[in-house]
Amino acid sequence: MTTFAKSLRWLHVNLFAKPFDTGLTLIVLPLLAWVLWGFLDWAIMLADWSVVLSSIKVLMTGLFPVEKLWLVWIALCLIAGLTGLASSTTMPFGRNALLAALALVALSLIAAAWFDTISAQTALVVASFFAVWAAGSRSETLRANLTGIAFGVLITVLLVLSPAGPSTWGGLLLSIVLTLTAALLTIPLGVLLAFGRQSRIASLRALCTGYIEVMRSVPLILVVYCIWVAFPLVAPQFPLPDVVRGLIGFTLFYSAYAAEFIRSGLQSVAKGQTEAAESLGLSDMDTKRIVILPQALRVAVPGLVGNILDIFNYAPLVFIIGLTDFLRAGQMILANPENSGRTYEIYVFLFLVYFAVGSVITFQARRLERKLAQGARK
Amino acid sequence: MSAFTPYNLRRLKRAASQIVVLGIALALLALLGNSVRQGFAARGVDFSFDFLQAPAGFEISEGVTLTADGLTAYASSMTNLQALGAGLANTVKVALVAIVLSTIVGVAMGVCRLSTNWLVRALAFGLTEFLRNTPLLIQLTFWYVAVVLQLPGIKEAPQVLGAIISQQGLWLPKPTVTGGTGLLIAAMALIPLGLLPIKAAEGRRRGLGVAVGVILGLAFLLGLRLGVDLPEAGRFRASGGMAVSPEYAALLIAITVNSAAYISEIVRGAIEALPRGQWEAADAIGLSRRHVLGDVVLPQVFRVVMPSFGNQYISLAKNTSLGIAIGYPDLFNVYGTVSNQTGRSLEGVLLAMGIYLGLSWLISLAVNLVNRRMKIPGAR
Repeated sequence: MTTFAKSLRWLHVNLFAKPFDTGLTLIVLPLLAWVLWGFLDWAIMLADWSVVLSSIKVLMTGLFPVEKLWLVWIALCLIAGLTGLASSTTMPFGRNALLAALALVALSLIAAAWFDTISAQTALVVASFFAVWAAGSRSETLRANLTGIAFGVLITVLLVLSPAGPSTWGGLLLSIVLTLTAALLTIPLGVLLAFGRQSRIASLRALCTGYIEVMRSVPLILVVYCIWVAFPLVAPQFPLPDVVRGLIGFTLFYSAYAAEFIRSGLQSVAKGQTEAAESLGLSDMDTKRIVILPQALRVAVPGLVGNILDIFNYAPLVFIIGLTDFLRAGQMILANPENSGRTYEIYVFLFLVYFAVGSVITFQARRLERKLAQGARK
Repeated sequence: MSAFTPYNLRRLKRAASQIVVLGIALALLALLGNSVRQGFAARGVDFSFDFLQAPAGFEISEGVTLTADGLTAYASSMTNLQALGAGLANTVKVALVAIVLSTIVGVAMGVCRLSTNWLVRALAFGLTEFLRNTPLLIQLTFWYVAVVLQLPGIKEAPQVLGAIISQQGLWLPKPTVTGGTGLLIAAMALIPLGLLPIKAAEGRRRGLGVAVGVILGLAFLLGLRLGVDLPEAGRFRASGGMAVSPEYAALLIAITVNSAAYISEIVRGAIEALPRGQWEAADAIGLSRRHVLGDVVLPQVFRVVMPSFGNQYISLAKNTSLGIAIGYPDLFNVYGTVSNQTGRSLEGVLLAMGIYLGLSWLISLAVNLVNRRMKIPGAR
């Protein structure tokens, strides 16, 4: 069949199969074209994107002191490396990835030369992502210790950023740091809660079940606000910065969700596994740690990655405790009378970045799910 | 026989761990309680809910609350408790309407995801992906700042089917009833009876229909007249009709659209999980696609999706608390104001948590009821 005949066939099957489908196509297609045309016309001809470029520093880092921005670049390289390592667990670094790496590094260098607000360090961040991805694909040891490495990297990131003071953290940087930290902290807490909910000790079971159910029934914004308000009241001797108090709220809230994902993993482990481990003489603790948990986490991982997306998507709620995350930074820029007419430009940029990050997380979660399902198939 | 058999020992160990866990929990609670007490003492106040009876003294832009003469519009002279009641009423007002609308939109989008038309399928997929991969809060502020607040002012506002759509809010035509209201309510009250999925309801349903018709006819003869109260645009706001504030409109749209994306994903998953044989059998007996979907597929899908819908409804109800970002006076927003005014943030938070817990439980209770009703007896 020629290409032309093939495409005609595709059109017939997918767009004009039946009178009803034809009608739908004839309505939807012009409508879609009109919307797209209108958007592109605005984006290219009318929109003034200079507002995004001129406020990129505030959008990305909030009030972070300018003279200490190099700390942010180090933190970004570390985070990019961590992301690269995470990518290597689902995708081996191949020739296409190498080409993409070269192209992206070149592109960011060109962009840096073109716009004076984008610096050449961007290329460094991109390069570290691909470098660690490549390294992770080669080394089994790196991939196997992802969780440990993640904790290490995250602590380093927090230490690197701390000289500027947590109150200056803002923008996308704050959203990402908050998401990563909360997501990692919810895993150990979630494991404890999940085991607690299945414990043979009735009082422990009741406590954990109660905690999980209450956390899942109240809004996140209430929990975050409550922790923020209550902390100085309960422990006035430990004045914690707002960021840390917000982080505690997010962690307490999302560990209940993490616990439920891990519990569904625990339930999927066959009973024979526990019995076999016990008959080998493993202690209760060792049975859980060596036999049950690794198998349970395998099932729970896609859900836990989805949990990261949830945390990232709800990170803008920190506006309630006065923090300036990515969305809030955008709103602050719009609050400036100079930029009052640039509402759509800023919002389109915010949406694009949020969607890009969200899609990457979703994509990874799906790949992980498929990969883990493959391993479990008998 | 020794008292320390392995069995007894294990029981002893378990009892001991019960006591240890309870002891630790109580100790933590006591520690927390003590530091709260000290915190309160340091500020010279004590833990009490008396502030609820004090006059609130602040305005709320919309909302009804419970007073001695039934539900009335909230006024600043009322108590803090009544203010919180108005907040709760506003939360429920958004949540209920959004649950109904997002279910309808979500099911439609879920069906679109599996359309035979590639364009419709791709569009529905792109839309759900976009809505699920961006924060609800930016969607909400976008609807408010970039859509609702960009509508024309009241003087230039277009009128669509008698409704005024403007920056200052929406005014919808309101149906009015004069004369014979009691009979109309009686007829309306009969209708839900006919919708209950009771076995052998066909005959009863027809009887009910006749009864409703007779009552309505009687009411009409006795002077029942239905009318429409059309809103009229004024200088700053419209009069008459049913007023919808811009904040309510934005919050409702944002939550409905966002939640519909999640519901469409649930519906799509359930449709795909249905055994292929169901489709093939329906095709084989020559049903059109519309009937395959409406009579074979969707009825089975609704039987399995209710629990997932329930979870989504609970998260929708919780999401109404984001209204504070655009100044919608929901429960959380009013709680924030009350706690700021009175300094009673801890007592208030306990109250608000209790209310949200109750709300979530009510929803899951209702969903469980519906779920039990929908199950075919004997089916797995």
